Amino acid sequence: MNKNFIILGGGQAAVYAAREIRKNDKESNIKILSEENFLPYERPPLSKDFLLNKKNQEDLFFHSSDVLKNENIDFENISINKVDFENKKLFTKNDDFYFYDSLLISTGSENKKLSLDNNLNDDIYYLRNLEEAKTIKEKVSNKNKITIIGGGFIGLEIASSLSQLQKKVTVIEIGSQLMGRIIPKQIADLVQKTHIEYGNEIILNKQIDKIIKKNGIYEILLNDNSLIETDFLIAGIGSAPSVKLFENTNLKLDNGIVTNEFCETSIKDVYAAGDVSNFYHPLYERTIRLESYQHAQNHGICAGKNIAGVKTEYTSIPWMWSDQFNLNLQLTGICDDYDEIIERGNDINNGVIYFFLKNKNIRGACGLGIAGKVGRDIRITSKLTEKNIIVDKQILADQNQKLNKLIQK
Amino acid sequence: MSEENWIEVGSTDSIEEEDLIRFDHQDKTFCVYRLTDGFYATDGICTHEAVHLEDGLVMDDEIECPMHQGIFNIKSGEALSPPACEDLKTYPVKVDNDKIFIKID
Repeated sequence: MNKNFIILGGGQAAVYAAREIRKNDKESNIKILSEENFLPYERPPLSKDFLLNKKNQEDLFFHSSDVLKNENIDFENISINKVDFENKKLFTKNDDFYFYDSLLISTGSENKKLSLDNNLNDDIYYLRNLEEAKTIKEKVSNKNKITIIGGGFIGLEIASSLSQLQKKVTVIEIGSQLMGRIIPKQIADLVQKTHIEYGNEIILNKQIDKIIKKNGIYEILLNDNSLIETDFLIAGIGSAPSVKLFENTNLKLDNGIVTNEFCETSIKDVYAAGDVSNFYHPLYERTIRLESYQHAQNHGICAGKNIAGVKTEYTSIPWMWSDQFNLNLQLTGICDDYDEIIERGNDINNGVIYFFLKNKNIRGACGLGIAGKVGRDIRITSKLTEKNIIVDKQILADQNQKLNKLIQK
Repeated sequence: MSEENWIEVGSTDSIEEEDLIRFDHQDKTFCVYRLTDGFYATDGICTHEAVHLEDGLVMDDEIECPMHQGIFNIKSGEALSPPACEDLKTYPVKVDNDKIFIKID
C-alpha cells in the first residue's frame, strides 16, 4: 500500500530527503510542506554572490519544479500550526490536516534576535532567507556606513560583500575573537587581519549599551563609552533550532530535536534532519548540531534512506566553509576537543591548516587559504578522521609532503 | 582530426598516479589527470565558482573542487555532487613517446 511521507520544512535537507525516498520507493506519496514560497534554494550565496549581484534568485534553486514534478514530489507552501503525533496529523491554522505514515522534520534554524529597550528592534536587519537577503540588498544600496553586530560567519561574509560594494563597514563582536564559537583563534586572527586590510573596522570585546536614532542616523554606544555612527544595522548573533511547534509535545528536545544515528527521533515514525536535529555521531560518541550546507544535504539523504526502509547510519564527518574576500576558510570534524595542535604552513597564499588531535587521532582541522588552497588537505583530513588513521605528525606539519598518499589504498 | 590542435602538455612522468597537473594554454586553464587506466583532461576551472581545480582531490575517477566540494567525473565531466551542477568540459588526450598531448578545439 502506498504510504504518505511528509517532510515539514522546505530547505536543502528536505529536498535531498525527498529525492532519496523516491530513489528507493517509486510508489509512495511524498509531500514537502514549506513556509517559504520558494522551491528549496542554496543559502550560502545569499550573503556573498547574491548581495554582490553575481547571482540572481533563479541561480539559487537546487532543482527546477520540473525535476520535482518528474519525481512525483509535491511541494506546498503552507504553514503548520499544530502537530498531533499520536494520530499522525499535521494541522494548518484552518484546522485542515495532513496525515502521515512517516514524518521528517527539517524546519531548520532561525535567527536569534537582539532585544533593544526602545522601539528600534525593527530597524535591525537579519540575513537567513532569500526575502531577508533581498531586503538587505535593496536597503543598503543608498547607505554608506553599515554596522554589523556579531562577528560570526554570517556577519563577516556580509562585511566582506558590503566592503566590496564600497561600503564603510564596522563589525562589533562581544567575544575576544571572531567566529569564536567554532573557529580556532589562530585562524580567526588571520581572517581579522584580512578584513582590516580591506578597510573594515573590527571591534572585539565590546557590548552595545544603547542604540539611539537621530535624523535617520544611528548612534551606537558601547560599554567603554565609545560611540559609533552608522546608517544601517545588521545583526548576525547566532541561531536557534526551529522547534517552537514541538515545545508542548512528547518529542524529545535538547538544543534541537534529539535524534539517533539513523535520524530517528524519540517518537516512532518521526525523523529529523539538518539544522534542527541534534544528532548522535558514532565516531565522536556525542550529539552534535550543525548548521552547514554539506550536513543539510547528507543528513537529508540519510533520513530519506531510513524513511524508505534502507537502514543507514549517519557517519559523515562535519565540514563547512566560509568565503570572505579572496579567502576560503574550511573546517572539518570538531576542533574543540583535543590534546595536541599541529600547524601546517604559515602563509595564506599557500594555505594554513591547524590539525586538532586527541589520543593521536585527528579529531578535526581548520584551514584558511586564498581560493581553494586548503581544500584538498582538509578533504583528506575528513577521510583520515573518518577512518581513524593515525598519521605521522611530521607529515602533517610539512607542507612539502602530500597528504593524499596517506589515504590511498 | 587535425594535427595542429594537439598541444603538448608534458612528459608522462610529470604526473603521479591519482593526481593531476594544471596546464595553461593561451588564455585557458586545463587539468590533466593520471588515473589507473590512463590520462584524461578537463577544463581547469570549476563550473560552480571560478576556482582552479588543480588544488582539488583526485580519487576514484573523480575530481573534487577544493573550495566547495563539488564533484565531477574526470572521464565524462559529469557534475556528480552539489554545489556543482554544470558539467565540466573534457578533452581528448593521447600519449606519444612518453609525452602527453591534449586536443583543444
